[in-house]
Amino acid sequence: MIKILAACGAGVNSSHQIKSALETEMADRGYEVTADAVMVKDITEEMMQHYDIFTPIAATDLGFEPSIPVIDAGPILYRIPAMAAPVFDQVEEAIKNLNK
Amino acid sequence: MQQDLSTSLLFHQETTFISDATSQDTVFKEIAQKLYQQELVTADFLENLISREANYPTGLDLTVISSHYPNIAIPHTESEFVKTCRIVPVKLNHPITFHNMIAPDASFEVRFLFMILNDDLGDQAGILANIMDFLNRTPKDDLMAFFQLESTESIYQFLANHFQN
Repeated sequence: MIKILAACGAGVNSSHQIKSALETEMADRGYEVTADAVMVKDITEEMMQHYDIFTPIAATDLGFEPSIPVIDAGPILYRIPAMAAPVFDQVEEAIKNLNK
Repeated sequence: MQQDLSTSLLFHQETTFISDATSQDTVFKEIAQKLYQQELVTADFLENLISREANYPTGLDLTVISSHYPNIAIPHTESEFVKTCRIVPVKLNHPITFHNMIAPDASFEVRFLFMILNDDLGDQAGILANIMDFLNRTPKDDLMAFFQLESTESIYQFLANHFQN
């Protein structure tokens, strides 16, 4: 099981859309993925240790350097396949590199 | 997750607005005051909306859909400051600068707001997806006409007729 942490400012709307899109698309690509949606301000280094990939909407200053792959997932929000595909491809590449 | 509220519950004519504001702060104050008077948001809503927008901007560049579309923004804040679930459309008579949600260093002029009030992040997380689907699916000429509408009644009616869940 791959665990993804999605984040946005309010922890509602955007991050939930990213969570939903990643879970659906990665399942379609044959990966077992679960994502959680949280507020950026609630993220801690300790929390991040429980995830494999971090997908904020855009580059985010957390006050620490994430130890897991970070993929900006904002383009997914447009729900335009051509915009979302590069993000999905990056996430799939990161999953492959986890060797889980 | 898709939400299943009918369009008639997501939009309300009494919370459809046209604003003459010329800055983020003034339009947020104007709309927040009206929402507070209708008991749809808490007293802390405005303060949190402003700081949320400053830290996590919500401007969306619609030129990626069509170069003819004006840009929009989807201001919103945490559920704890909101008492309902609906979309508050605000046509801006004057362009207001917003930063780009997916590239916060960039900014552009915005002509329309779809303010999202969401008091239930469990069941209603699909509202933003529904807004994007509305923008992607509505025929270009129709959406261009929508952005030119000049009464809150006609804006509300267009959304009631064209917005699909």
